[in-house]
Amino acid sequence: MRLAIDRRKFLKLGAAASAAAALGGRAASAANPLSMQAAWINDAEFTGYFVAIDNGYYTAEGLDLTYLPGGPDVIPESTIVAGKADLALTTPDTTVKAIAEQGAKFKIIGAQYQKNPIGIVSLAAKPIKTPQDLVGKTLAVPPVNVISVEAMLKLNNIDKSQVNIVPYAYDPTPLVKGEIDASLDFTTNVPFTIKQAGPEAVSFLLYDAGFTIFNDTVVVTEETLKNKRKELVAWLRASRKGWDENLKDPNLYPPKFADTWFKGTGRTIENEIYFNNAQKPLIETPAGIFSMTDEAIAKNIEALSQVGIKATKDMFDASLLAEI
Amino acid sequence: MANEGPRHGWIRNLAILLVLWEVAGRFQLVAGGALPAPSAILARFWEDKSDYPPHVLATLEASFLGFLIGNAIAIAAGVAFVLSPLLLRLFRGVNIAIFALPPIAISPVLVLTFSGMAPRVILAAIGCYFATMTATVLGLTQADPRSLDVVRAYGGSRWDELRLVQFRSALPAILGGFRVAAPAAVLGAILAEFGGGGRFGLGTYLLGSLGRADPPRLWCIGLTATLIAGLAYAAFAVAGRRVTGTARAVTVPTAAPAAPAMGGNRATALLLATAAAVLPLVLWWLLLVVLNVPEMIAKTPAGIVDYLVLGGGAAQAQERLLAALAQTLPIAVIGLAAGLAFAFALAVLADLFPAITRSFMPVALVTQTMPLVALTPLLVLLLGRGTPLILWVTISVTFFPAFVTIAQGMAMVPRAALDVPRAYGATRLQQLRLVSVPASLPYLFAATRLAAPRALLGVMIAEWLATGTGLGNLLNQSRGYLDYGMIWTVAAVSVLIAVAFYQVVVVLERWTLGRLGMRTTE
Repeated sequence: MRLAIDRRKFLKLGAAASAAAALGGRAASAANPLSMQAAWINDAEFTGYFVAIDNGYYTAEGLDLTYLPGGPDVIPESTIVAGKADLALTTPDTTVKAIAEQGAKFKIIGAQYQKNPIGIVSLAAKPIKTPQDLVGKTLAVPPVNVISVEAMLKLNNIDKSQVNIVPYAYDPTPLVKGEIDASLDFTTNVPFTIKQAGPEAVSFLLYDAGFTIFNDTVVVTEETLKNKRKELVAWLRASRKGWDENLKDPNLYPPKFADTWFKGTGRTIENEIYFNNAQKPLIETPAGIFSMTDEAIAKNIEALSQVGIKATKDMFDASLLAEI
Repeated sequence: MANEGPRHGWIRNLAILLVLWEVAGRFQLVAGGALPAPSAILARFWEDKSDYPPHVLATLEASFLGFLIGNAIAIAAGVAFVLSPLLLRLFRGVNIAIFALPPIAISPVLVLTFSGMAPRVILAAIGCYFATMTATVLGLTQADPRSLDVVRAYGGSRWDELRLVQFRSALPAILGGFRVAAPAAVLGAILAEFGGGGRFGLGTYLLGSLGRADPPRLWCIGLTATLIAGLAYAAFAVAGRRVTGTARAVTVPTAAPAAPAMGGNRATALLLATAAAVLPLVLWWLLLVVLNVPEMIAKTPAGIVDYLVLGGGAAQAQERLLAALAQTLPIAVIGLAAGLAFAFALAVLADLFPAITRSFMPVALVTQTMPLVALTPLLVLLLGRGTPLILWVTISVTFFPAFVTIAQGMAMVPRAALDVPRAYGATRLQQLRLVSVPASLPYLFAATRLAAPRALLGVMIAEWLATGTGLGNLLNQSRGYLDYGMIWTVAAVSVLIAVAFYQVVVVLERWTLGRLGMRTTE
């Protein structure tokens, strides 16, 4: 068989197609395009951004924002390395590990959660209230977070062999049924889900057990930081405005997104309202949302050093926040 | 199955099964109520019904695109292989790799390399390729040589032979290939949705629902996926019957098509074999260069050698990989043996008591298409998080295709051969032992070839979802640690192991069947 199209025609076609694409692209956006990779599927964790998008805060800053949802298997850092997004919301331990050990050229330019919402969740009937309570128990941990748990155990002088760590697939059923004693999850979220399934749940934050790190750190590549600094500052400003607006009344916005952002996620709006209330104290800070004070950065570096992750001050760049 | 039994018996058995399930669910008899009753699943579906359309549509879109692309490539490749045996030899390595690769190992690699819908479409397309390609090659080569002679005698070109005779004769086989490919496309798309981000798709919905401690919802999504896969299968079964007027038994392709013997010396053969082994690596390399994926996240074969042998952390990486392999490989071999034993026992039962087997079939089909993630909470509660769970998952992913193949072999034993023991008054069991089982030995090997790569897949799935050990966990953990070198290493190593499993069986098969004077199935 011979192909019906010859090489020259094929090249012409290709040229025409790319010209058309270039034209279309230019006509479509007058504003500066910027894309963000979220850390999880659409839930209340990202309400502030949804508010900023729907209320036009990004547009007012001259940004044309593309929002990419995440999921359990999406590695946000990969998306920015591959150039599919300009900024990503990440967990600082993995980001810092990638900078320190693989020479990844990342900078952390802000932090959504001053206190990491991740914690140990257990049933009130068999409560686990301190790290010491974990000894001899079975704890389900998403493989991504195993280093965080090992850090927390170490900080509390518990040998990791004393806790039976099994994989956690983000399904609380084994906890509700008593197959495991505790799980590592967002304390802003899971206690509500468990209560809906029947039992009462208790939790404590890894942060309060000494693993003092941020979460949903805003991460960019050094290249993006150089080329799109103005857009990034604009994004931080609009996002802060979105979060301020959202947290004024945490009960207000989640119901409004029932048929848009939160549609089809398999979660309930009551759950998102609970989440939005629970995360308020972990996000708000006198220095302004996203802020990274010297003291907070020092705490992150200290906590990470406990698990042998060598964080340094220059991995954090708080100068954009100063420009808001 | 080929011979349909009485309709009513089938419906009655299904009804009994549903009642039993309902009772077990209602009275929370299984795993403290982790097995929901069918009525609870239906009620949950009714409540959530507005959630489904966008998810189902997204999954259908990816599977449909993957089905079109995968089959187009598969048919083109099949035609090319028939026209050029040299090409078939060169692509033998690629074909076996695609046949054997465990999707969970390459899904993260696809997500790193491509974006948007592409990983879903590609995994769906990969799911289709093998079945349709083998069917095309088989169909084209089985054309009636007398018809080809007629075309040739009238001066027809090679193209005329293809167009007038071979395509027509291959149509039923290709449609048969589509029938196997269609559910595979759906499952491929869903699997990639787990890792792909994006808002819609049944896989995404399942993940979002995992956090709700709501088994009816998980089962409902899993059964919806099963239903779509089943409908896709049924659609092509009906189409096949309409077009060809014949119904063919379920067959599963079990081997990469082999090129007919060619002239040439040993040196040429060796050269070709080497080229076939190297070609998959070259294609992998080329793809990354063409796509221009950053070096940090996309590793070429050289990148893996650097990571595993030459680089700074090489010793530690080797240690982690070897520790994981030591956990995964033994249990994969045991799981394979258990899966085959189960399939064999089932095939013998099917021969002795066809009615029981028929009522068991719907359950077996569900275990093949129901995403394992949805079943994990139930399995963990029933079996714990140890070796029994790994074995159970491995058996469940290996036995079905193996059973179909072995049963096919037993059904093809010539009547005349069975008449001999029968004439001497042998019982059914003696007939089985003396004739049916030995005669279907080639099919047992074919089943082993088919099951070997799947056993590795089963073990990795169980390790990933429940036990937190071995290669499956290493893959999962490496993603969390942004250890790109290890992600690619695990993907490459698991494909290599699957291919090695396959080749070991091929060698054993040739040796054994050669000694017994039998031929392989293909």
